[in-house]
Amino acid sequence: MTKTMLELKGVRTAYGNIEALKGVDLHINEGEIIALLGANGAGKTTTLASITGLVPPKSGTITFEGEDIRGARTENLVKKGLIMVPEGRHIFPGLTVLENLKMGAYVLKDQSGIKKDLEYIFNLFPILATRSKQSGGTLSGGEQQMLAISRSLMGKPRMLLLDEPSLGLAPIVIRDIFDTIRKINTENGTTILLVEQNANLALMLAHRAYIMTTGLITLSGTASEFLNDENVRKAYLGG
Amino acid sequence: MTYFLDLFLSGLTRGSIYALIALGYTMVYGIIALINFAHGEIYMIGAFTALLASMVLGSLGLTGWGLLLSVAVIAAIYSGMYGWTVERIAYRPLRGASRLAPLISAIGMSFFLQNYVQLAQTSNFVLFPDLVPQMPFLKPISAYLNRTQVIILLFTSVSMVGLTLFIKFTKIGMAMRAVAQDMTMARLSGVNIDRVISVTFIIGSVLAALGGVLIGCSMRQIYFYMGFLAGMKAFTAAVLGGIGSIPGAVIGALILGFAESFAAGYISSSYRDVVAFIILIIILIFRPEGIMGQAQTQKV
Repeated sequence: MTKTMLELKGVRTAYGNIEALKGVDLHINEGEIIALLGANGAGKTTTLASITGLVPPKSGTITFEGEDIRGARTENLVKKGLIMVPEGRHIFPGLTVLENLKMGAYVLKDQSGIKKDLEYIFNLFPILATRSKQSGGTLSGGEQQMLAISRSLMGKPRMLLLDEPSLGLAPIVIRDIFDTIRKINTENGTTILLVEQNANLALMLAHRAYIMTTGLITLSGTASEFLNDENVRKAYLGG
Repeated sequence: MTYFLDLFLSGLTRGSIYALIALGYTMVYGIIALINFAHGEIYMIGAFTALLASMVLGSLGLTGWGLLLSVAVIAAIYSGMYGWTVERIAYRPLRGASRLAPLISAIGMSFFLQNYVQLAQTSNFVLFPDLVPQMPFLKPISAYLNRTQVIILLFTSVSMVGLTLFIKFTKIGMAMRAVAQDMTMARLSGVNIDRVISVTFIIGSVLAALGGVLIGCSMRQIYFYMGFLAGMKAFTAAVLGGIGSIPGAVIGALILGFAESFAAGYISSSYRDVVAFIILIIILIFRPEGIMGQAQTQKV
């Protein structure tokens, strides 16, 4: 029996008078990787911002592990293990790599656990260990994306929200990043909601997917259904 | 040479006091991009609190170092509470508003605090007691350095080292830097932004209050309107150094202190303020981001 981890029902979110989400419904089961696809401006990032409380929705319900979290403060959601890696990586440029990682564990109190997690990260990405005293702003794009994902792992996520992790990266780096995402899912059992422009790539990784158009979910299905569906291929995957 | 050394030391001490106030401006600006115009008033309240505390503690028989330190601690705590309250009342409710709204609220808060102290205390200059303990060891060099200057340099250097260590090595200090660099990401890391902003206001206010105590000790008189000009000068220092930059504020304050002191000594004391503001104008024309500041693109 699969357990629903996150569920959105009729979520409406607006910036001033402009309604970006017009009633979004979706659910994610524990241990799944879900891809959220769609064109620019469809409302993918707003969906993530609504879940994390950065932009509180106007109406609808959002439940995380059975608890109503609509309108909850972002820092309290981080404590519950709902952690987002925003688009553009958002590395703290003036903090060292080590400090960036420590910021990821900001809500945790168990110092020896944090130490162990740091070792785990440095094993996973040895480059971060060699650069640990450098300021985050000096890293390359790929290194920054590794750091951003590592930082989110430091917070012991139950569920990760990844916004455009491949944006602006070289193809070979993208493959590394996606391998890591798969590893996080299979080894740690972390549930993942992935927003991605590169739909082909996202569908290779995801179990199920949702497609958004102008503030609404217009299509949903398993990743293999999407990859084999002629219409979807034409509309979203470039033939 | 003695005259030059005199001016140098008076510039250094003056600059140190400006630095204590300027740090509050620059830290608050670094975090929420607000120019806290009520900050000079916190400095004034620090001086008045010190005066009242010294009267009470003095009548209880406290003297010397014990008196000075407990007066400084009381002024710091009381002003810290003021700083926290000002942020809660005047700025936090306007967090989502346009940038102009908290600025106007800050100016209003400044007027309010000035008038409140004027009514509650006095509109006259009041004598500030001599809180600085005797220092017999200064006798051989007393022609160059007096005990008040020693206290000013001691207090400011200890506070600055303390602040640096706090920001660099504590968890909340790291969170303050994180919030200043990327507020959204700090929230996504689980930082309670409101708490960090409160801590920033409290620290800024504590430093300003120490400045108030020191100026009382050195001028030996205080006045409800003293925060206005000192606040303007400290703000100038913060802009000069690059607003948002902590070392910048200290450097800017020292430059301003020296410039004022030498202008007063070699030109005329009535040119002191003129020189200070001429420096501000020149900096704004040729290096608007300040000495240590980075030219920033407007965030959308």
